[in-house]
Amino acid sequence: MIAPDVAPAPVVTVPALSSRASAGLLEPVAFLVVAMGIALVEYFVAGLFADFGPSNFWLAFVVMAGWNAWHFAGAQTALGSLTGHYIATTDGQPASVLTIAVRQLARFGVLYALPIMVLDFNFLTALLVWLVVGAVVSRMPGSRAPWDLLANTIVVDGLGKRATTVELPPLHSAADLRLAPARARENRRAARLMLTAGSASVVVSVLIVWSIFTEAWAFVSDSEFEWGILSQRGWFPRSGQFDLSTLFVGTLWVTGIAMLVAGPVGLGVAFYLSEYATPKVRRIVKPLIETLASIPSVVIGLFAISFISPKVLTLFISDIGIFSILAAGIGVGVLTVPIVASISEDAMRAVPMELREASYGLGGRKVTTALRVVFPAALSGISAAAIVGVSRAVGETMVVFIAAGGNGVFNTDPVEQGQTITAAMASLGAGTDQIAGSGIAFQSLYFLGALLFVMTMLLNILSDLIVRRFRQVY
Amino acid sequence: MAASSPVDLDQLRARRGADVRGQIFLILLLLSVALAIAMVGAVFYDVIVQAWGILSDRLWDFLASPSSSDPEKAGVAQGIRGSLLIALIVMATFPIGVAGAVYLEEYAEDTWVTRLIQVTVRNLAGVPSIVYGLLGLAVFVQGLRGITGGSSVIAAGITLAVLVLPVVVITSSEAVRAVPGSLRDGAYGLGATQWEVIRSQVIPAALPGILTGTVLAVARAMGEAAPLLVIGAAGFYTTGNNDFLEQFQGAFTALPMNIANFAREPAQTWRGHAAGASVVLLVMVFFLNLVAIIARARISKKLGR
Repeated sequence: MIAPDVAPAPVVTVPALSSRASAGLLEPVAFLVVAMGIALVEYFVAGLFADFGPSNFWLAFVVMAGWNAWHFAGAQTALGSLTGHYIATTDGQPASVLTIAVRQLARFGVLYALPIMVLDFNFLTALLVWLVVGAVVSRMPGSRAPWDLLANTIVVDGLGKRATTVELPPLHSAADLRLAPARARENRRAARLMLTAGSASVVVSVLIVWSIFTEAWAFVSDSEFEWGILSQRGWFPRSGQFDLSTLFVGTLWVTGIAMLVAGPVGLGVAFYLSEYATPKVRRIVKPLIETLASIPSVVIGLFAISFISPKVLTLFISDIGIFSILAAGIGVGVLTVPIVASISEDAMRAVPMELREASYGLGGRKVTTALRVVFPAALSGISAAAIVGVSRAVGETMVVFIAAGGNGVFNTDPVEQGQTITAAMASLGAGTDQIAGSGIAFQSLYFLGALLFVMTMLLNILSDLIVRRFRQVY
Repeated sequence: MAASSPVDLDQLRARRGADVRGQIFLILLLLSVALAIAMVGAVFYDVIVQAWGILSDRLWDFLASPSSSDPEKAGVAQGIRGSLLIALIVMATFPIGVAGAVYLEEYAEDTWVTRLIQVTVRNLAGVPSIVYGLLGLAVFVQGLRGITGGSSVIAAGITLAVLVLPVVVITSSEAVRAVPGSLRDGAYGLGATQWEVIRSQVIPAALPGILTGTVLAVARAMGEAAPLLVIGAAGFYTTGNNDFLEQFQGAFTALPMNIANFAREPAQTWRGHAAGASVVLLVMVFFLNLVAIIARARISKKLGR
């Protein structure tokens, strides 16, 4: 048995935080100078792009990245030469021209191109983004910024002033398994690609938060906006009435009714499938109920107005209309059943057999075992199921949009028509509220989106916490 | 020992009394299961009954004609086309989700980057679909107008791809996690690099699971209407002689949008159209599931398991 020959962890010195931050502060200045220079050249050459705008910045990124890589092949960037910073690869060696170019392009892309070009910031806002992202994320001592991860680099200190010593993770290179360079390269490239794909979700989150909250802020800071318009009874965006309580009452009713349907039914199904059903029955019943989850919500919306209202609810309430909060709530409940059922069933099945056997051994009956042993043991998962169900019900749009009637009058009677947060958003988006592509009514769409996002996010975090906090580890 | 009499089980049972609570509990459970199954049955029954008139009357015409304000002529051709294009675009982005899952399961060490990705994936999966519509409107419709051409099928496809990304990541992660470690160890023992292990062992072994997850994701994307409403899908549009680019960048609609629009018409005559479009959508979704099941079976067979 040959012990793997692992290379020792290289030790490098990383510039102190303050030193790196001050070096970074110079960067936007350099960019501004380069971009202005390009604008100036354009002005004299073409006279066309006289505007000092984003296109100049695009060019500036490329110029800066190219310049850095070409001129400072000794593993130093333009600003690094002022502050004595070097770019090293993670094995402590100076980075190559290509590596620096990749790192700088990624860095400029995240810090400058993304805010200005893609997100349509003006330069001042982009500067602000740079300050936050650049100063906080990229300059944590010892850890590496996203672009450093992409290019597999680290910033090291050439002057040795106020430096921190960092031990890099050891390189797993068994010497007896000498790898062909091409295979090793391919391996590294694949790892980088996977990380990039993995960060896609983070990018999406940032885009969601950013796009929604800037527009929501635009709504709140609009000149027509005052907090009073959020509490004049009724939701009529066209006439400037943005009463949140109208929507909250509708949302509460729909969610409450949905949970009244989905809670007992879902829990009953879960109990049956986990405790009573034979494997054969389970194989048939479980997919059948999961079919419900794959039915598009528009179809359930149609079902609500063509079946639930006219065929079921009229049996109990003679004067109910086709469109009502009640029908919408039941429709949402139908959609929520499989979610509650499958999450709680998973929780119940995770309860170890020994607990049930102990209960039987003490003479417990099946019902006692289910309710007094399995239920408490699975309670964290079951409450998580309930919360996820609530969060789905709050966010469900199409059923309510189709079946609740979309009347914005303040109303606490579920037999009447009503409006929820999501349905109000759908109406705004669908243009049924007759609004153009701008103005305060349109921005209220984002305001509601922000509210909804925060609400469901909190619910999801809560369910996560419950599961983690109260999960019994068997 | 000899003095103790044998336990009389019958007597013990009799002393315990009948299991009334157990019976009631079981009846309640069976009732809830029956109710859930009745819901599934009622949805299909209702949709098919409502759609029967229009589908038996003019099935081909309904499938082939564009939307119209005349109930006799209106059809779902534009919706089918839009939904298929959206499904294609969503499928084209799956490699990103699968690669993300492979990163999380195979590469990621416990760093703040990994934890950040895990937390955001979990949270994104719970964000309501209409919120993704806002993202699509702000970023893909307005921000990247130059590429997507505004409210177009491209913008819709990318928005829905982003919507199902967390689902793809989560289901693919589960499939990758289920691959036995012995497969990896065997390949490593033969001197394969990590990437070679993943490419030749992990991904093929996880493919049936990944496929199931991704098909479910396409099915979900095809059924979503709320984000399309927000990014401005048309109820119907008039088709001229569109050039190739306009097919992708011009006005569009999709089946769920058709259903929603038909369902919201006040006149009862449109109810049948909505149900007809629902049947078409359900058939497409179930066809997808069927394809997944068959593909899954064939791959499993090829892998010899």
